[in-house]
Parts: sequence; structure tokens; C-alpha cells
Amino acid sequence: MQANSHAVFKKSWAAWLYLLPTIIILITFIFYPALKSVILAFYRSNFFLGTRKFIGFGNFRNLFKGPLAPGFIQCFFQTILFSLCVLGIGISFSLFLAIQANKRIRGARIYRLLLIWPFALSPAVAGTIFTFLFNSEIGIINEVLEKLFNLKPMWLSNPNLAFCVTVTAAVWKNLGYNIVFYLAALQNLSSEPLEAADIDGASGWRKFWNIMFPLLSPTTFFLIFTNLTYSFFDSFGIIDVLTKGAPMGNVPFDNAGITTTLMYKVFIDGFGGSSNMGFAAAEGTILMILVAGFSYLHFEVFGKKVNYDV
Amino acid sequence: MKKIGLILSCLLLGMTMLFANGTAEKTSTATKTNEPIKITFWHTFGDAKRQGWIHSVVEAFNASQSDYMVKEESKGSYRDCIQGAILAAKQGESPSLVHVAEAGSQLAYDTGIFLPVGEIGSFDTSDYIQPVLNYYTIGGKVNSIPFNSSSPVLYINTDMLVAAGYPADYVPDTFSDIINCCLKARAKGVANANIAISLNGWFFEQWLSEQNACMFNNDNGRTARATATLLDSPEAIKIAQFYADMQKNNLYSYTGKFEDWDGSDAIFTEGKAMFHITSTADIVNITNAVGSKFKLNVGMLPIPDGSTRNGTVIGGGSLWVTKNDDPKELKGARDFALYLTNTDNMVAWHKLTGYYPVRKSSIDTLKSQGWFDTNAKQLVAFNQLLQTKVNFASAGGLSGTVYDNRTIVEQAIQKVLNGTAPEVAMKEAKKLSDAKLAEYNANIQ
Repeated sequence: MQANSHAVFKKSWAAWLYLLPTIIILITFIFYPALKSVILAFYRSNFFLGTRKFIGFGNFRNLFKGPLAPGFIQCFFQTILFSLCVLGIGISFSLFLAIQANKRIRGARIYRLLLIWPFALSPAVAGTIFTFLFNSEIGIINEVLEKLFNLKPMWLSNPNLAFCVTVTAAVWKNLGYNIVFYLAALQNLSSEPLEAADIDGASGWRKFWNIMFPLLSPTTFFLIFTNLTYSFFDSFGIIDVLTKGAPMGNVPFDNAGITTTLMYKVFIDGFGGSSNMGFAAAEGTILMILVAGFSYLHFEVFGKKVNYDV
Repeated sequence: MKKIGLILSCLLLGMTMLFANGTAEKTSTATKTNEPIKITFWHTFGDAKRQGWIHSVVEAFNASQSDYMVKEESKGSYRDCIQGAILAAKQGESPSLVHVAEAGSQLAYDTGIFLPVGEIGSFDTSDYIQPVLNYYTIGGKVNSIPFNSSSPVLYINTDMLVAAGYPADYVPDTFSDIINCCLKARAKGVANANIAISLNGWFFEQWLSEQNACMFNNDNGRTARATATLLDSPEAIKIAQFYADMQKNNLYSYTGKFEDWDGSDAIFTEGKAMFHITSTADIVNITNAVGSKFKLNVGMLPIPDGSTRNGTVIGGGSLWVTKNDDPKELKGARDFALYLTNTDNMVAWHKLTGYYPVRKSSIDTLKSQGWFDTNAKQLVAFNQLLQTKVNFASAGGLSGTVYDNRTIVEQAIQKVLNGTAPEVAMKEAKKLSDAKLAEYNANIQ
């Protein structure tokens, strides 16, 4: 590191010393296990039997060729679709709600509180709430729908509806998080550009799209990234409680449960049934590559569009 | 000076973190001849009623002798229990006695951490009901002692049955009987004349056994290790066809989730179905939940048309003894297992839960107590078990991938419910399950 007269630490070894505890923790709990799991992907390993045999790319071959492949490939694309839905709907809806919550109306504080508290729930609780709401026999939504329109949709056994319910639950759970950040960003916006636009006679939509949105782009950039990791990894809790990866999709999506994301598939294959750990590690490695790819694309494509002008 | 202080405290923090893992000093295990040997028992019953009962049996055992001191612990689900036992064995601290689900028998056997209970001295197994003991006999040796055993039975909403014009004690015998019964009820205007069964591969295994068909090759994995499934057999397709027929007539009702026992129970106890199939272990709970809402009857599992009733496969769990260098601890674990499943304890366990007492002497005791006069519903399940023929089909499938197989079967049935032809779905299922089984067997040289 070059000596910088403005740097806090004059010598680099002092900086490294202070970073050491964090680096040790990161290596022990994140990097080392990740490395071990990528290595495990090249072995045939069973948890119950305690066996471990090197088989090279055997697990990866089984993922893309052979009878178990269609299920994996379907989960792969389902995960991408699920993430895009959670991202797209989550961020646009949160932005909309944050703009509404930012207005100076009576009870604005209460509305903000109500919008943010779902984030504090644990995923299991959020999943349970949705399970009861959308229970096709005794859930309150079907009770109302039956009385009003004589409709009784099978929310959790129809694959298309089940996918929508899962996306809705995942979006709802993370709304609070997104709204908090957007609210903070909105409240930090200077009013000058908007007032100038008013003087020029710009419409509401114009004001939003050409002024507010670019000014909010740093927050949007950050939230897209966190929602991406949320939809890939943290949606596990909701899926496990709500659908457990089921139901099977309609042809041609009938090789795996429609709400089985890659993360959930890793869990089912690695810890359920006969615990094929090597196979699950291979799936986990592909998931890691996928997320890394998305993150790289995200930073490259959107990073350049972020507008940091205040 | 301040900087050196900072650096030193940094180093101190780093050092304490490096050495922060310590194990408490172990108290030396009892080697004196008069100290009772500690036996640890891990099981999966965490609810107050059942764990409380187990605890009382443990205390009675400890009070009745001074050689052993048993301690029981609930470990959550079957999966958590066996995974915990394996991890503990790897660290050299395995529990003495472990409660393993029936489907995990091959897995438990393959882990190599258990000792077949038949190898610990000799004891009398003639009192256990033969088909039940058969399930837990691998390679001619009794591996574990059956503890909680159950079978599937048919629960009937008698009020709906009578409204449909049937006699109150009518029990449909075959698949077409039950479908026709529901259709007649519908025609008579009975609301909610449905069939509620949780979507579970366990029932599939039962219906295969009723048709004297095996789930796996090599005689259900009993004469040699199973290497393939028989999911595309005509008997298997008949079962898938049953689901297709129910769905065609819009009679099948479930919550949408796999293995949702409670959800399907709720559908029946809330009066939203006429028939329900689930384990006998839930007789007490379902009777209580139904209460006075409607009259309840229990019958034998309906079987596929054209088959002679062969019998059901035992469900539930058994007690496995872990390997140990100390022969006294082995004997203690076995003795406690035999005590927990002795005649009187099995009678009490049955009365408390609904699980079978798998001993002939317990059944005789219950008969002499007149239990079945006031609890006729329980007798149905007993007769179903006692009439089960002893063969490979009713011994149940033994393979490392029974759980995977169940999930694959459940997925296949869901495809059938969505409209796929039963033969197509079952052929697909066979391909998938065989692949999983091949992967598992490749671990074993």
C-alpha cells in the first residue's frame, strides 16, 4: 500500500493487525467452508454412511445429463424466474409505497410503521401467516372469495397459484427493508430539482422518472443487490414453511416442485432422503457461480448507470 | 504509548479468540463396580403426553434395579435423531439406545454405528407379532426392537354415510367401492362427500403390500441389497390409477403440501370429507378432535380391486443399540429396550396413544380387560395386522433410499393429479428412484 499522508495508519502492518480478527472470522466461517464445499462437489459423499470417494466431475455430469438432470435444470430456471419476480415486483412496489409514505399527510408515521414491521418477522412466522391465509379450505381469503364471487382457488396445490403466493410472501416479507432505505433516500433528496421541474411544468410521471429515479439510483443499485441475495438465499424459510418446494408444475415443468429454488434443492438433496452430500455440494457450487455471475453483471451493467450527483 | 496499548489489546483479543474453544473437564466415567452404568436413550417424542410417559417408564426402570441408570432425551424429528446419533458416534459419544423410524432401517444398518440387538446375548422374541419383527429383521438377524408401531386405517364420517343411504357400519372394501360410495352420496346431495388422504408415499407402500407386490427388487431388499425399484409394476400403476380416478371425479381433497398429516386430519375433522386414511396412531387425537361434531367409524384400509387382502406394512419406529466396547452397557441398553416394550408397558402405551402393542401377550391382556368392547375402533387395526400374511411384500421395502423413494412417488402422484397418465408418471418415477438408489449403493463397495 502506498503511503498516503491522509491515511489513518502510517504503516500498513498496523491496519492489517486491526483487520485480523474480522479476517479470521471471515475465513473460518465463510471462505474456508465455501472452499471445502466446492471440493466436496468432486466427491461422492453420503452423510449417513460417512463415505467419501473422489469421482471428478461425476456429480456435475449427473446434474446436466441423466435422469436427475431435468429436475435440476428446471430448478435452475425457476430460481432465476423467482429472483427476477421478487426483485422486479419488490423494488418497484417498495418505491411506490415509500413515495406514498413520504407524503406529508396525517398518520404518515403510523403508515410508515405498518409498512416496515413485516421485516422484523422471522421467515417461519411470515410463512405460517401466509399458509393460514391461503389455506384453500379454512383460509380467510377463500372464505371471503367464496362468499363474494363463489370462487375457491386452490392456492397451494395449483402450481401457478402456488408460485405466485410464494413470490407474494417473499416480496411482502422484504417490503419493510426496501421501504426503510427508500424513505431515507427520499428524505435526503434536495427539493431544488423537483421545484425547478414544477416551474418548468413537468408532469408527475416526468418528475418521477427523470428526476427522482436517477437521484435514487444509488439506493436502487444497493437494494437490487440485497434483494438478489435475499431471493436466492433468505427465501428458504418462507419456501420451507409455505410449500416445501411443492407442488409439481404442469407439463413441461413437471420434473421438480415449482417453488423449489436452487437453495431449497441443495437442502433437499443434501439433508433429506439418503443425504447425497457430494451431489448437493455440486448444486451449491453451481448456485454460487450463478450468484457470482449475477453480481458481476449487476455491478458492470447497473453500476455504470448509477448517478451519484447529489 | 497509547498506540502500544492499543496493539497489545488487539493481540490479546486475537489470542483469546484463538483459544476460546475449551471443553469442560469431563468427570471420570464410573468404573467402580457399584456405580450404575449410564444408559442414554434418544427418542423423537417431544410432546408432553408421550415424553411424560416415557419418562415415567425410565424412572420405574431405574427404581427397579441398580445396575443401570437410564436417561431419556427427545431429539425432535426422526431425521434429527438419527443424524444427531451419527454425529455423536463420530465424536465417540454416541447414545446407548436410539429411536429410528422404520424407513430409516437400511440407512441405520449401513451407518455401521449400531449393533444388531439379536447379537446381544439371547432373548425371547416369540412374543412379538411376526410381521412386525420381520420388518426389523435384516439378513436373518433381529436388528432392533419394535417400539411404536402403526398401520393405516380408514376413518369414516358415519353421518354422511347414513345420509347417502348406506348402513351405519358399512366399510368400503375396494377402491371402486369407496369412489362409488362418494358418488352416490354426491347424487343424494351430501355436501363434502370427499376422500381426504395426505399425499404420502407411505400409503403407496401399504397398497403395494396389500397386493402382495414388492417396492424393491431382490424380494424388497430382504434376500440381497436392493438395486432397483419396481415402481412401474402393474400393481404400482393400479395405485396411481386410483388417484387419477379420484381426481377425475373431483373427490380427492388435500392441502397441496406433501406429507401434511395434520392438514388432512383437519380436513376430515372439520367435516369437509367423508373418508380419511391415516395412521392408527392418530385414533385418539382424531376422536378427540371430532368430538360430538359427527359420528366416527374406523375400518380396514380399502384395497385395489381384484386383489386378495395381503396385509399392511408396519409403520412407526424401533429401538437400535449402538456399538459399544462395554458389554454391560450393551446389555443395559437391550434390557431397557425390552422393559420399555414389555407386556404391561405396551398395553399402557397403546391406551395412551393408539400405537399397537406389538406383543401377543399385550393383545391378550387388552382382550381380557375388555378394552375392545369399549374401543371397538382399535380392534379393526389389530385384526388388520394379525391377519397380515407373512411374506416379503408385507415385510416392507428395505433400501437406503426409502425416503427418497417416498418423495419421488409423491411427486409422481401429484403429476397424476395434474393430468399425467399413471403409466407415464410411474415409469418416470422408476427412472428417478433407480438413479437415486444407484447413487446410494455406489457408496457401498
